[in-house]
Amino acid sequence: MSDHSLRYIDNGSFFTRIDALSKLIWVILVLVATFQLGSNEARGIMLALLFFIMIFLARVPFKTAWQAAPIILIMGTLLFVVNILTVKSTSFITIAGFTVGEQGYIRGLEFFLRITIMVLASFLFIWTTDIRDLMTGLVHIGMPYRYAFSIFLALRFLPIVQQEVDAVKAAHAIRGRASYSPIRHRFRLWQRYMFTVIVNGLRKAENTALAIESRGFGAYPDRTYTKSFHWTRTGFFLILLFIAFAVWLILWERNIKIF
Amino acid sequence: MTNNPATDKPLVQFDQVTYQHYGKPTPALSDVNLTVRRGTFTLLVGPSGSGKSTLCMLLNGIIPQILGGKLNGKVTVDGQDVSKTPVQELAKSTGMLFQDPEWMFATLKVEDEVAFGPENLRRTPSEILDSVEQSLNYVSMEHLRNNLVWALSGGQTQKLGLASVIAMSTPLIVLDEPTANLDPVTTHSVHELIIRLRDEGRSVILVTKDLDEFMAEADDMILLAEGRVVAQGAPREVVNKHGNKMLELGVWLPETTEIGLRLKAGGHLKKEVPITVAEAVEAFADARFKSSRPSENTERKETVLVHAEDVEFAYGNKFKALRGVSFDIRQGEIVAIVGQNGAGKSTLSKLLVGLQKPTHGEITMFGRKSRQWRVQDLATQIALVFQNPEHQFLCDTVREELEYSLLAQGIDDKVIINQRVKNMLERLEISDTSDSHPFSLSAGAKRRLGVATMLIAGSARLLIVDEPTYGQDRRLTESLMELINNLREEGITILMITHDMRLVDAHIDRAIVMANGQKIFDGAPDKLFQSPELLQRASLRTTTLRRLVDGLRERGISVPDGLNTVADFIGAMQ
Repeated sequence: MSDHSLRYIDNGSFFTRIDALSKLIWVILVLVATFQLGSNEARGIMLALLFFIMIFLARVPFKTAWQAAPIILIMGTLLFVVNILTVKSTSFITIAGFTVGEQGYIRGLEFFLRITIMVLASFLFIWTTDIRDLMTGLVHIGMPYRYAFSIFLALRFLPIVQQEVDAVKAAHAIRGRASYSPIRHRFRLWQRYMFTVIVNGLRKAENTALAIESRGFGAYPDRTYTKSFHWTRTGFFLILLFIAFAVWLILWERNIKIF
Repeated sequence: MTNNPATDKPLVQFDQVTYQHYGKPTPALSDVNLTVRRGTFTLLVGPSGSGKSTLCMLLNGIIPQILGGKLNGKVTVDGQDVSKTPVQELAKSTGMLFQDPEWMFATLKVEDEVAFGPENLRRTPSEILDSVEQSLNYVSMEHLRNNLVWALSGGQTQKLGLASVIAMSTPLIVLDEPTANLDPVTTHSVHELIIRLRDEGRSVILVTKDLDEFMAEADDMILLAEGRVVAQGAPREVVNKHGNKMLELGVWLPETTEIGLRLKAGGHLKKEVPITVAEAVEAFADARFKSSRPSENTERKETVLVHAEDVEFAYGNKFKALRGVSFDIRQGEIVAIVGQNGAGKSTLSKLLVGLQKPTHGEITMFGRKSRQWRVQDLATQIALVFQNPEHQFLCDTVREELEYSLLAQGIDDKVIINQRVKNMLERLEISDTSDSHPFSLSAGAKRRLGVATMLIAGSARLLIVDEPTYGQDRRLTESLMELINNLREEGITILMITHDMRLVDAHIDRAIVMANGQKIFDGAPDKLFQSPELLQRASLRTTTLRRLVDGLRERGISVPDGLNTVADFIGAMQ
């Protein structure tokens, strides 16, 4: 009964109660708005909004967020560092004792914020959505159920893959560390994690596919549902409020630039 | 046996079936002819690799339609040819519970999972809701209907798998080792469910090694070996005619039946071989036993390797997996940690190898507190063999795996490495696989390689083995236990985590019993098995051998103490 960071948290929070399709539309709007923003200040405000939703509206436990933090931050941090090192700068600033190129820093921060916003919005969706509701929602708007279900299964597999990574990591840790050079050793370990996780993951995916086929999945062009999809009023307001917020943010940002 | 609705109408028929998996040189099944009647309960038994799972997958068309391969002959289920009827269509006739039901779960919540199959078959929502209700009621899980599937215990997961299959309302239910990972009481409750299904007119095919309770209830037994049907018939008939062959093949049989077979082979039993405890008591009612057995060497081992004091561990500050657990593990002992599913056994093993640290209390290992040990350093003292040994493999060949373990302990002299690898390969009888990929080995060889990788460096003082009998037939288990006993002779202390009470009775010096995160017993298995209250609290059951001994004593027959194995029992008879 270990904890995993990439799974639905059924805590009855405000955000959890919003229907899956409204949340999906919200995630898409967050992505679109983020790419419309031109300043890091505005992106910072957008990120702050997501943190507000995570803490107060979705009530994601601190431990879950903490466990997911490396996944959320790793890509943005990498892009931040790469931009600092590669973007040619004409002016320099000092941060925490390090002198870095200003343009590289600004570009790096832009990438960091964009990626972090995108990943965090997706995680908020995963944490607060029973993916079965997403599947029935997608079918409700006309998507063939086989396609809707493939999205569902991909999300269903996330925690299983994470569980597998943890198990393999633990098993490797107790075997000790060979006296190779640390970098070679780490690369080798990483290779083995990947190999074992992929082999076991494929095996599990194959077994799941066999199991659902043998439970009649795909027997007919359509299927019945015991729980039907309903748009929620809160979902409608979420979309409306977010559009208003995004428009305000874009205008505010342009005002900053204009004046 | 109640209300058996068996009929002579065939539900499943195999006519001259030979099947070869794609890319394999030899057939997995050869010339198989068999019939399963409607409303019957059939046991499918055989050693590891005998073709049981392949046969099951033919019943719902996964073989040959999805897994491919070459099929000769004809398999029909409910009149449908499994090679021509789509798998989804066959789902209306065959419900299948896989070995690890977690893999078959397609949804997040318990009730959604049960509804998944009937929804695929386009039943009406009201029909589906009724069948969800009934199926959950069947497995006593109504109160968990809104739970998330990954938050269920091992036993609940298995029951949910069964409920999902029941909800499909198929005439045939195929269960592939559904109790392999369950505690004895949960296993018993799954057994009862199966009997109930049969009594309600469904046909059930069960692959299991837990034959103790089923032999008397089953209508048929099919014995497979090397892909061929060696015998089919009523269990009593099969055991009487082919029992010795079953023992030879390494099939697990109830201890009472094994005693009967061995006595009959020696000409000491004239009656039928017993298949239940009651029959065994009857069969051996005239037996006389030697007054006492030579006492075992009960020398007390005093050197404490591990000392746990008031240990607690909580996941995510909510669920307390361990509460106030204290115990010692002494040099040279074989200790078992036993208890119900979810009792905290696996958590305890993670604490011992340093993967988790206690949230309260202290574990002292080899003279140092657990918090002071790093996992890598502790690995030189403690070896853990995982239930799934694939998780621990790092290299591309068996030889490289063993070499890696030596390098990990700082041994990099090529001559020493070659010598030790050679010795270990020979000792574990896996020399012929030294250049094979570890993932390609048989289940038994993987287990042995798992042990070898952890012990080759020679520094480990404590070996922890998680579920030694999981997925192993009797012969493989015996060979693993022989290895473990030899290691103990060499001074290595052994700690096993197991549900297998027969193993506990036969090989263990001391049992630590866990229930709801607490230690409720720490002592000799004899004392544990004499306490019905303890057994009940820990969801354990006594062995058939002990039930036989108790039955004989109730008849006034003097049976000495300390008969823990079939060999002990036969050896004590006059």
